[in-house]
Order: sequence, then C-alpha cells, then structure tokens
Amino acid sequence: MKHVKVCVLRIEGTNCEDEAATAFASVGVSPEKVHLKQLLGQCPSDLKRDLGSYDILMLPGGFSAGDYVRAGAIFAARMKSGLKKDIVRFVEDGKPVIGVCNGFQILVELGLLPAMDGTMSEAPEAALYTNDSGRFECRPTLLKQEKRGKSVFTSQIPKGSVVMYPSAHAEGKLMFPRAQQKKMLERLLENDQVVFRYVDPDGEHAGYPWCPNGSLHNIAGICNPAGNVLGMMPHPERVLKRETHPDWTRVKWKEDGDGLSIFRSAVQSVR
Amino acid sequence: MALDHLFFKRDVPFPLVDIDLAKATDAELKVLSKDMGLSLSLDEMRRIRDHFVSLKRRPTDVELESIAQAWSEHCCYKSSKVILREHIFGIDNGKVLSRGDAGVMEFDDEYGYALRIESHNHPSAIEPYGGAATGIGGIVRDVLCMGAQPIALVDPLFFGPLDHKGELPAGAKTPKYLVSGVVAGIRDYGNRIGIPTVCGGLYFDESYLGNCLVNVGCVGIVKKKDLRNNAVGGVGDYLILCGGRTGRDGIHGVTFASAELSSKSEDESRGAVQLGDPITKEPLIHACLEVNSLGLINGMKDLGGGGLSCVVGEMALSGGCGAEVDLDKVPLKESGLAPWEVWVSESQERMMLAASEKNVKRILDLFAMWDVDATVIGKVVPGKHVTLRWQGVQVFQVDLDFLTKGPEYCRPCKIETPSKTIKEVRPLLPDTKTVLLDLLADPNIASKEWVFRMYDHEVRGGTVVKPASGMMNLGGPSDATVIKPLPDRERGLALALGVNPWFCGLDAYRGGMASIDEACRNIIAVGGYPDSFTDCLNFGNPEKPERLGELKQAVAGMGDLARFLNLPVPSGNVSLYNETAKGSVLPTPTVLGLGIVEDVRRCITTDLKKEGNLLFLVGETKEEFGGSAVYRRYGAKGGVVPEVIPERLKRSMDEMHAAMKKGLIRSCHDVSDGGIAIAVAEMCLGGDIGAEIKTNYESWYLFSESNTRWIVEVEPSKEKEFLGCLTIPVTKLGKIGGRSLRIKTEVDRTRIPLKEMRKAWSGALPKLMG
Repeated sequence: MKHVKVCVLRIEGTNCEDEAATAFASVGVSPEKVHLKQLLGQCPSDLKRDLGSYDILMLPGGFSAGDYVRAGAIFAARMKSGLKKDIVRFVEDGKPVIGVCNGFQILVELGLLPAMDGTMSEAPEAALYTNDSGRFECRPTLLKQEKRGKSVFTSQIPKGSVVMYPSAHAEGKLMFPRAQQKKMLERLLENDQVVFRYVDPDGEHAGYPWCPNGSLHNIAGICNPAGNVLGMMPHPERVLKRETHPDWTRVKWKEDGDGLSIFRSAVQSVR
Repeated sequence: MALDHLFFKRDVPFPLVDIDLAKATDAELKVLSKDMGLSLSLDEMRRIRDHFVSLKRRPTDVELESIAQAWSEHCCYKSSKVILREHIFGIDNGKVLSRGDAGVMEFDDEYGYALRIESHNHPSAIEPYGGAATGIGGIVRDVLCMGAQPIALVDPLFFGPLDHKGELPAGAKTPKYLVSGVVAGIRDYGNRIGIPTVCGGLYFDESYLGNCLVNVGCVGIVKKKDLRNNAVGGVGDYLILCGGRTGRDGIHGVTFASAELSSKSEDESRGAVQLGDPITKEPLIHACLEVNSLGLINGMKDLGGGGLSCVVGEMALSGGCGAEVDLDKVPLKESGLAPWEVWVSESQERMMLAASEKNVKRILDLFAMWDVDATVIGKVVPGKHVTLRWQGVQVFQVDLDFLTKGPEYCRPCKIETPSKTIKEVRPLLPDTKTVLLDLLADPNIASKEWVFRMYDHEVRGGTVVKPASGMMNLGGPSDATVIKPLPDRERGLALALGVNPWFCGLDAYRGGMASIDEACRNIIAVGGYPDSFTDCLNFGNPEKPERLGELKQAVAGMGDLARFLNLPVPSGNVSLYNETAKGSVLPTPTVLGLGIVEDVRRCITTDLKKEGNLLFLVGETKEEFGGSAVYRRYGAKGGVVPEVIPERLKRSMDEMHAAMKKGLIRSCHDVSDGGIAIAVAEMCLGGDIGAEIKTNYESWYLFSESNTRWIVEVEPSKEKEFLGCLTIPVTKLGKIGGRSLRIKTEVDRTRIPLKEMRKAWSGALPKLMG
C-alpha cells in the first residue's frame, strides 16, 4: 500500500491542527503539521518542506491571523503570494484538498472554491458571511450528503445519509453577490458542487438552530467541479469517536464517530 | 504635601530618580506610598527605608516600585498566607507532581494534568472586555509555564442582578453591560487561542453590583518528562523574554488589585488594565511547548502580576541564583518608557525562558518561524542579587531575600455566623407549580445556553460531556464536563465547579465545606472520582476583622473537608479587597474540582433516558433552607445552612461510584440550587420527557438544598442490584414518562407541562440580556 503523506497547514491562529492531524492518524496515515513558512522556505533549513511532496492538503479551523480583516483573508493572501503555482499544480494533479471552518473560508478567499470557471479564480466569488444570529454558534449540526456523483471525500458517505458534525463559527453563511445569487446557486447545483446541507433530526432542510448560520440553500459544504477540493463549515475532525457526539449517552453504542468516514474516503482515493 | 525635596533626578539621558527615604517622615512615607501608587502600609515603607539606610544609599524609583509589586497582597498573600498554611496547604496524597504557577497532579503513568483558577475581578469591573480576556490570557500562561498544553477553560462569573433598577455604587457599571463585556471578552480570547471553554457559572446577587467577580480557570496536560520548574537551571543560563512587547498597559495592576474599588478607580486605574492579544498568544503557546518538548529550555515562567520585576527575581531565586538584566534590551510597544515602567509593566502575552547558551540560537530560530519575538535580555549569575542596567548604567540592585520575603500578617479576625443570630423567617410560598416555574426562570438557575453556545466548547475535539446534556439542541445542564485529553487514551478528566456564596454569607464554615461537597458530587454524577481541587478565594477587605473572619472560616471548612477526603489543593488564588463603599461582596470561595474518569465511554449524563425507568433520591433531605434559592426568591430570612458530614460524603462517593461502574445508573444529576424539584425538572428537560414523583413530606421539602444528594435513573430490572449497592439513605421518588412533571405530596398534586418548564428555563437569560 502506498505511503500517504498529509500536510496539515497552519499559521498563527490556526487552532484545530491537533485534531485534524489526529483525524488522519486515526485512518492509518501519518500527517505532518506544517507551518506556512516551512513551505515558503522562511525557516531553519532542516524544517523546509515542499507542498508537492504531499498527497493530501488540509486547512484546519481556527482564527488564522486573528481573522481581523475578513475570516481567512490574510492566510489566503499569504498563500497566494508565495505559493500560488504550487497550489494550482497540487489541485490540478487531482490531489485532495480539504478546508474546515476557517479552512473553508480560506479556500473561498483563495478562489479554490467554488472555482466554477477554472482551478483558481482571481478574486473570491463567494463569501462566508456573519451568521444570521449575529453570534458565534457552537452547536451540533446534522448534514445530509447530497452530491449526486462521486467525490474523493464521500466514497464512504452514501448519498442521502445524515451525519453529525458540530459547528463552531461566527461567519458561516454562504452567500454570492446578491445580483447573481440565484444564478450562481443554479450553477453550483448543476455542477454537482453541493456536498452537505444542514438538516433537522427528521432529515428535513430546516431553519435555526439546525442551520446555525442562515446559509444559502442550507449549504454546509461545497466542492470544486472536479470534486477534489472540499470546504465545509462543520468539523468532522471533532467527532472521530462516538463519545464526542452530543447525545452519545442516549443512543446505541458504536465505536466510530461520524467524522472518520470523510478522512477514510480522502485517504482511500490516493492509495 | 510636596515631596519634591525627597526626589533626586539622576544626571543620565533617561528618567531615573533616587528617593531619599532616610529623610522622609512617617507622614511623608504615607503620602509617598499613595502618590506613587505603591499600596504599601506605613510599616512596610519603614521597613524599606531601614533596609536602604543599612545599605547606606537611596533606593531608585525602579527599586521602590519593584518592592511594592513583590510585597502586594496579590503577589505575596500577606493577609491570607497564615490562614492558607493552617488549612489548605500541604494536603498530599502522593500524587502531587508540582505546586508551581499551576498545580500538577498525576494523570496516568506517563502524563500529569495541570490546574489553576484565579481572579481578574478589578480589571473586569473597570473594563469588562479587556479584563476578562486578559484574565484568560494569564491563567493560560500559568498552565503553559509548567510545560503543559492547555486543554480546557473554566469561568465562574458573579454580577449584580441583571434587572437591577435602583442606584449603582459610585463608579460602577450596569450588570448587563458587564455581563455582555465579560462574556464577549472570554469568547473572543478563548475561541481565538483554540482552548475550549467547557465549564462555568453565572451567579447574580446585589452584593456584586459594584464589584463583579471574574474567575478564570485552566486545565492542561503534560508529559511527566516535559514538566518544567518555574526556575532557572543554573549560573550561565540565558534569560529569553518572548511573546508580546512591553508597553504602558497594565502598570500597577497588582497594587490596584490590592485596594478597594472606588468612584475614582475608573480614572485612576484604567492604565492598570492590560490589553490582550490572542493572536500573539496562540503561536506563543505553540512555540513555548515546542522548545520545551525538544528539551531546549531549563525553566519557564509567565509574566503576570508585577511583570518582569516578579518573574526575574522568582525564577532566579527558585534556581538558587541571581541575575543580571539589560533592561533596555526589552522590546517595547512605544519608545519613551522609564526603566521602572518597563520593569513593572504587566503587558500581556509574555513568557520568560531560561536556557543554556548552546540552545539559544535554535530557540530564537523557532520563535522567528512562528513570528513571535524572542530576545535575550539577561543572564543568570552566582549570588542572590538581581542587577539591572539601562544603557550601561546600573539602575537597580536588590537582594532577592529582601525582595521576595514580603511581609506576612496575622491580622485580627472576628468570626460571626449570621445563620445562628438571625431569626429564621419562613417565606409564604405560592402553589408548587408557581414556585417551580419561578425558580426555573431565576437567573441563578435558568439555562446558561445563551452564554456557552458563544464559547467554542468543542475545539481540540476532546469534549465528551459538554455543557449541555441530552437531546440535540434541547439539552439540560451538565453537572461536570468531561475532557478526553489524549486522542489515543480513553482516560478522562471531569471538571466541576462548587461555590455557594449565599451559604457562605450565613455560615462561612459550612459554605466552604458545601463548595467542596458540590464539586465532588458533580464529579461523581458524571462517573468520575474526585482527585484534586484548585480554589479562588474572593473576599472583602482583610483589614476589616469580620471580612478576614469570613475568609478564615470558609478556608477552614474547605480545608477540613479536603483533608478528610485526602484530596490536595495544589494551586489557588486569593482575591481580597472585593469591596466598594457600599460594602463587601458575599464571601465567595470558588472551587474547581478535578476528577479522574477511568473510561470516558462509561460517562453518565443528567438527561432522562427512557420511559418506565425509576427515579431515586440518594442522600438525606433535611430542614436546611438557609441561603437556598427558594428562601432568596421569596424574601425569607436566616435559616440553617446545609451541613456536610464528611464521613457521609466519602461513603456516598464510593458507593455511587461503584454503582456507576457496575452500569446500574442510566442518568444522574446532583441536587443543588432549587433542590429535588429543580433537579428532576432539569433532567426532564434534557431528556425531553416527563416524570412522576411522590413524596411523603410537604412540598417545600422538595426545595431544600441539603448537601450530598443525587437524583438517579435506574432501569426497573436493576432496582434490586442498585439498592443492594448502597448503605447510604436512598428513597424511591417515582418513574419516568409523559409530557409533564407530576408531583404528589401528602397534601396536594401538581402537574407542570414540559413546554412551560422549557419556556421558563430557556427563556429567562435571553430575555434579560435582550
């Protein structure tokens, strides 16, 4: 079996890298937590790393650079200025890229999502806007897998099934420029880019609190048209085992948490 | 009074003043202490004067300021140490690994866990957002400097009533403004540094109107081999200051914390409140842990109260050495700071490392990769002096023994127990349904979901029992939260708070015991077993004998019970002078209890699980209503404060724990504020199912807050085995089912629909906060 290398990328304020690394370690591969400056060569020489040498790239959650300009904007700008070519090549090689929470915001800021007209758009085409409640929302969320075709991240999550990945963010409402909102959504659906949508316990698309942010069309996660770049607000890496689910003391016990399947799928796709 | 004749400006190109203490009269010493913001007493000023007279020289402003920091109540616990030593210190069951800036206890063969709680009361009363945020920053550094990865934050908060209409003490801010600011400060700082805020409390009482209490706790995990002393390794070590830059924010923080608040505090002490920067802190945590785990450093300590002036002296002294520091090498936020300001500034996000010369370059390189400043500012030398230079000029040289052996007082103490002197006046209660709904909507009992949903309580992916237990988005309260610190191990830590200021106000000794009892029963309720405590003692002005009496009694109660249980208190914090012209806060000893959970997959939560299961009350209900929620709500007076029988608590803990390990208990909730009635109601809310309970007493016994009690759910098939496990009192209450809570007493029957209970419980806080 191929030795799979995973890059969990971080800068100051990235704060979900430990559990992101644990997620990949739980499915039998060896992840490495890498600082952006290690890819840019701005570090002691023994710590330098090459993005191309990895098979999977993960952008974990957090508040990169404090999110003081716009969530994810600074991390994205720093990646774009020093690493654009490497990233484009990585994506065009079909290698999986996953961004969770702040990582999703970074992928949108980078133009790697929704990327309807090419690998990476020049400017961001969408935004993850302040939640309708106006507050940070840390709560359980249920997601229905709605991708019609195959994707490298969902081979182990059947279409129509519901998973519990918790959310924790203040800016997770997916929006397009108002005038193009309807058209962009249609294209997104047509391209089969909608992967996860928020639902209630009956599996119905529901409002707050089940959709914690008021996102367009209840969208929780999208991929690029090729299906190898995935961004999502909820955190699969927080539910690797059943005991971190919110209601695990009430339901029938099983060992695995819902989050594992997404990482299993990604690893399987590159093996 | 003009003191100009005592000040001699030194002829150097920077501000430096020699102060002629030898010539100062007593009256002048007093004024000097006040004008310079030293918060030192006349006796203390005389002691400093005599010290420098014996050295035959005048102290510099840097020296005088530095001594004031070291001798502040905040830094040297001069009023409380005698009491703490008698009752709390030294309980040791062989599992204490360290009593440094944070306590460290054994977690398993390979790991220890670090714990500490402290206050950030006065800064938060002046500037709630910044005060609370930097409170989190400070407690995280205390855990970090043990070499531990912070894994959880805890924050019990105390304010005046949200609906307070009348006048406020001069200079005080409205409770609603303070709650918003403090919660936002914790949210923005805790969420950004990525440490989950998992446990807390919101308490409201008139006594906190002018002086809110913001207590912040942190727990960490550390490999035993990475555990660090807060000391230098030895002569020749380099002192590396890392993290944030130093500025004028947070000057005189500790001396400000050691005085009562007044209407002038806002103007005079705004500069004492530090400014937090979580995005400097977050990489600072990574960088410090990385250089530590690589074995590159010999010691580490955080810069908190007193800033550099405390950290250099304490680190050097603990390592049996002295130090020389080039103070002008400290990176500054702005130019133009005087040496004394640099020396005592409490600017945030700073850590001091001690490292051998051969490791310095690698450390600086690693910090550079994280874009975190790290600067060598001095060196460890033989002897017992700390010497400071500024542009080559010596500005400070003090003997560490003199500096760090601050005064210690055995102040006069008057012990009063109001519950014994106030005549009990029972309240006239409305019908049981009204009482229950009123209590569910009491802000001290109502759901705190409005707060904890804004805190990321799941980051790091190890939160097993969360602040809410039960149906998704419908959960009831949890007794303790449970964290799984290590991804590859199922062993966990239970974190629970215990505090009841109203009990303490009436009977500080029983109140102190009750805080330990509450923390223990909360830990037992989730399936853990109590292991250690850390405490934050918030009291009034210790120079008033009644206030000090409260402290002494509460600490005695806590200490007696902890000692009986043989559970150590390896860290803690004392916050005195929580007092305004209108009076003192209620005596508030906050206890954070830590418990070991052998296998987190066996945890128990509070939510009712299944129709038809039975409900039992474990423990004994007595006529103890002093300080209870029902007495407070309906204007009663006095009453007996619930006692704790140590032997009973210990036996209850052991038997309950054994029953849980056998899998006999499906859900469990401790009985506290609002008594049995509220405990059962909360369990119904979490499980979104009703229950029927019967009692042979009058209904108001349902609201007694006697200690050492739990409500448990047991499957009918396991009733016999469960009862067989217990020798402590246990009573069958009823069974689970329906969509309402039905209460039958000797005299009446009450039925309260779930819907109405949820509206009262969930709606109260959002409504008050608007």
